[in-house]
Amino acid sequence: METSEIVWEIKKDSIRKMIQSGKRSDGRALDEYRKMEFLENYIPKAQGSCLVKIGDTQVLVGIKMDVGTPYADSSDRGNLSTSCELVPLASPDFNAGPPGEESIETARVVDRGIRESKMIDLEKLCITEGEKVWTVLVDIHVLDHDGNLIDAASIASVKALLNAYLPKMEDGKVLYTERGEKLSVREKPVSSTFASIGGKNLLDPSYEEEMVMDCKFIIVTTEDGNICAMQKSGSGPYNRRDIEEMVETAIRRGKEVRKQF
Amino acid sequence: MKEIVVPGDKVDGKVESYVFREGNNAYSMVLGVMDNKEDYGRIVPLNGKYFPQVDDYVIGIVTDVKRGGYVLDINSPYDAFLASRRRYDSGAVIFAKVGDVSEVRSVSLTMDKQLYEGELMEIMAMKVPRVIGKKNSMVMMIIEKTKTDIYVGRNGRIWLKGGDIEKAKKAVLKIEMEAHTDGLTDRITEFLK
Amino acid sequence: MELIKNGKRIDGRKFDELRPIKIDVGVLKRADGSCFMEWGKNKVLAAVYGPRECFPKHTQNSYKAKLTYRYNMAPFSVDDRKRPGPDRRSTEISKVSREALEKVIFLEYFPRTAINVFVEVLQADAGTRCVALTAASIALADAGIPMRDVIVACAAGKVEDEIVLDLCQEEDNFGSADLPIAISPRTGQIHLMQMDGILNEKEFKKAFDMATKGCLEVHEMQKKALRDKYEKIGEVYGNE
Repeated sequence: METSEIVWEIKKDSIRKMIQSGKRSDGRALDEYRKMEFLENYIPKAQGSCLVKIGDTQVLVGIKMDVGTPYADSSDRGNLSTSCELVPLASPDFNAGPPGEESIETARVVDRGIRESKMIDLEKLCITEGEKVWTVLVDIHVLDHDGNLIDAASIASVKALLNAYLPKMEDGKVLYTERGEKLSVREKPVSSTFASIGGKNLLDPSYEEEMVMDCKFIIVTTEDGNICAMQKSGSGPYNRRDIEEMVETAIRRGKEVRKQF
Repeated sequence: MKEIVVPGDKVDGKVESYVFREGNNAYSMVLGVMDNKEDYGRIVPLNGKYFPQVDDYVIGIVTDVKRGGYVLDINSPYDAFLASRRRYDSGAVIFAKVGDVSEVRSVSLTMDKQLYEGELMEIMAMKVPRVIGKKNSMVMMIIEKTKTDIYVGRNGRIWLKGGDIEKAKKAVLKIEMEAHTDGLTDRITEFLK
Repeated sequence: MELIKNGKRIDGRKFDELRPIKIDVGVLKRADGSCFMEWGKNKVLAAVYGPRECFPKHTQNSYKAKLTYRYNMAPFSVDDRKRPGPDRRSTEISKVSREALEKVIFLEYFPRTAINVFVEVLQADAGTRCVALTAASIALADAGIPMRDVIVACAAGKVEDEIVLDLCQEEDNFGSADLPIAISPRTGQIHLMQMDGILNEKEFKKAFDMATKGCLEVHEMQKKALRDKYEKIGEVYGNE
């Protein structure tokens, strides 16, 4: 909306000035996260779920499992599919309709974090090789957008998977309302999002900060301190030193966050 | 005596604003606080957007330049039009008075004055009267104690420049958060010392 | 499956008993008004934006606000995962729900604007359209939108020859009729009514009565939730 853009220009200057002097409008340090809250098993009917709040941002992830056919090149493994809905009630800027690029990017970055870290033991999801496998469907439902949707979606997905169960199988039929064995997981990827504002990189941007930022950088790290996914999101260019610093911070932060799991 | 009313609640016939009548009865239209005194009663809504009223002073931002005037965003579902010969760029911050509101809610502004530099804040429009205070007493106190130049728009926008601007902003936010409580004037006086 | 045994229903309720209900008002930051409701195992989030500028401009109405209502189910809300996006059922529910609100909201006060109602069903267990509309009504009040009433919805149905109130999922799946209604509690007028199944006239009247009583019971909870949210308000705002 044209009107909003011009009004944001006015706010941009005062926010940028504050950040140059190392301060954020909510009083946080540049590398400080807002308060995080987790409500696990929020949707008992799903096979796994978690509602995550980071400050005022709220993201709900539900895990559903379904039986399907494996892909030809991975006939002995189950499948993972991640999608994201930026439902209109979460923000005045979200419209009803098919997923736009922001929704797709969020889903794919979260998916990469889970997939590349090998968090889910996909081989254990094979029922009959070449014929029947379990598909894990991760559905991200954004409920309230106050910035940093990717970190919220990522941590909600990971927590939901950590408490997920396969449905019971009886005589080849799936009983969706009954719990079978726990989903076998072996990693805990942690996502860290940095917003670049006037050359400074801030962790966990609020909606306001995302509106005035130049660019965003997301790094997902694993338990053994490796990087498993990255995304530069937005146009403003980065220099190499900044990227290496962010990687260092992300690995360090990942270790601290995992203590909460 | 104060109570919370919801849409459809029956209220005393003497209440004038935010009520609708059916038969001999008056009912509240909104979720609000019902203030019942001896000779009058009124309902103050607990939430809602800013809707321009004639004679309101507002702070608008120029978003479009047209022949003979400008379109301003006034933090309302309705845009406003300012007929003016003065030259303003897109993004200019203007303090003006609401001259007219038509049946289809076309808003015309008048007595425009540009506000240069300074900082713009936005609070809930319904808390603005508290920031202004009885006979401007509250805003004058903030101006006096912080030496900050302040313009308050009834549409929830507040412009500040100079002086101890951080203190002034904090005072405004404090009023917004505690607008519904007693003893606010004393607490703000204490805060500004 | 025995749905009724010894005068009690499959979940232990009496014939005219509602499922447990919990209401939270104003739970979202970005929306202008919001309401989260747990009704039995249903979990529904309703939010309102507006009045706000109406886009596209050519759909603006010079005489009143344009009201939209979008009922949507999250993929994980049902036993059999639902593909994201509107389906025919959601479209129909959205239409009749919007129509229920159209004569209740003072749309004529906000010409050329839009009032958008969004409801997300996060977990479904029968009766979601009633939960959705009841929550939407609260969200509209929370947003400060002027209305003639806070409307409320509830369903009654037929299960194994008995007329019962507020069907749960098993009863909905194996019952023989479902009658959701929405009323304006103040006037008793009906703003939404649908029915499917088979009911004779006598059964219909009984179900209608039961659903109406259910509505009035839920309405008391709506009012309490709205008042509780703001009960801390002491003094009124300054000069106006």
